[in-house]
Amino acid sequence: MTGFRWEIISEYSPLFIQGALMTIKCTIICVILGTSWGLLLGLGRMARADKGPWKYVLHYAVQWPVRVYVSAFRGTPLFVQIMVVHFALVPMFINPRDGIFVTHGLMSVDFARDLRTEYGAFLSCIVAITLNSGAYVSEIFRAGIQSIDNGQMEASRALGMGWGKTMRKVILPQAFRRILPPLGNNSIAIVKDSSLASAIGLADLAYAARTVSGAYATYWEPYLTISVIYWVLTFMLSLLVQYMEKRLGRSDSR
Amino acid sequence: MIHVKDLQKQFGKSHVLRGISCDIAPQEVVCVIGPSGSGKSTFLRCLNALERPDGGEVIVNGFAVHDPKTNLNNLREGVGMVFQRFNLFPHMTVLENLIMAPMSLKGLSKPDAILRAEKLLKKVGLLDKIDAWPTSLSGGQQQRVAIARALAMEPSIILFDEPTSALDPELVGEVLAVMKQLAQEGMTMIIVTHEMGFAREVADRVIFIDQGIIQEQGPPSQLFTAPENPRTQAFLSKVL
Repeated sequence: MTGFRWEIISEYSPLFIQGALMTIKCTIICVILGTSWGLLLGLGRMARADKGPWKYVLHYAVQWPVRVYVSAFRGTPLFVQIMVVHFALVPMFINPRDGIFVTHGLMSVDFARDLRTEYGAFLSCIVAITLNSGAYVSEIFRAGIQSIDNGQMEASRALGMGWGKTMRKVILPQAFRRILPPLGNNSIAIVKDSSLASAIGLADLAYAARTVSGAYATYWEPYLTISVIYWVLTFMLSLLVQYMEKRLGRSDSR
Repeated sequence: MIHVKDLQKQFGKSHVLRGISCDIAPQEVVCVIGPSGSGKSTFLRCLNALERPDGGEVIVNGFAVHDPKTNLNNLREGVGMVFQRFNLFPHMTVLENLIMAPMSLKGLSKPDAILRAEKLLKKVGLLDKIDAWPTSLSGGQQQRVAIARALAMEPSIILFDEPTSALDPELVGEVLAVMKQLAQEGMTMIIVTHEMGFAREVADRVIFIDQGIIQEQGPPSQLFTAPENPRTQAFLSKVL
């Protein structure tokens, strides 16, 4: 080993910066989409009615599919999911030749072609990680919502508030405070897991390291560099979560 | 105002309510007493459909509670409820607890809702706590806020589910005083309670429930001093 060759890093610094920005961009979009999707799945997972036809509709058409979904996405590697999404799911919908969106006239052939060539890997990465983290986040939401004392739901319903209003104004604000730490962990996982998308050609941090190591046949400098960048990103994210916890902790729940 | 006929409720195999029938008139104050597990709380919770009746008829304020087609939210807007464990919303201040439902359901503007909240807090003697968080209040104060929260919807009936059972003994009085004031103002109240002294003083009628049916009912003077049913006698001899 001949020491750390800084000139490699400085020569490729634009690539690393662009890669870091791509990683950040992916993380932000995936955290927002994944959390929303997870909330929806979590509510679906808990959907139930005591009697009437809704009981069966919710049980077999909502709750069960969500269970299968969550189990499948938690039970298979994210890397494989990214591959499946990139090479099967996305082409199925937006292939310039026979994609479903194109054949149904939702998208022009040119647009589909441009989308695939310009943003193909980005799109697949977002879709795959959103689908994957939604499965994890749904369980976080479910645990958070179920941890809220049933008396809160009863008190709000007794005032005449409907289920949806009660969820929005009473249950979710309290649940959200409790699930902030696991949601933060999930976001940190997304920062790191987005590196898997470099395998389908997403120009993120890991891709930058791969490019540089290919050009110089050296692994030590580029991979150590992106390790530090990943660490800085996740560390800043954990500080942000800590700050939000403090802000939301004002009223101090029971 | 409240009409209950042959009300039935089962939880799994246990038959909690076995045919309760009674009518409650406007401005009447009714105390429901009985041993724990007798079904008195379940009876109360059937009146605003927190529990769905399994059989019989329950009509409250003209709403048929037993009918699945009834809009329960509309029913509940007119029927307040006060819980044993207060159930204030801990992520909201006292004021926010009081204005949420009126603003969200009755379309009150924020200034109007605040005005109403201030009036109610003055009534329960807690105007100085308007910006406090619920967890910073004593149990008695929390329960008084909970009563004010129920009143903020201007209900015509209030249901009390053991409102003083979770309180330290020295805090019971302040809550009972507020309830007594409400009774004197003519509010229709149904109170599940273990406070026999309060029932005797405030109630127009006392209902004794045991084993899922009304064993005996009557004005407190009669029920407490000369109970006819041997179950009532046995129960009262233990608690009085």
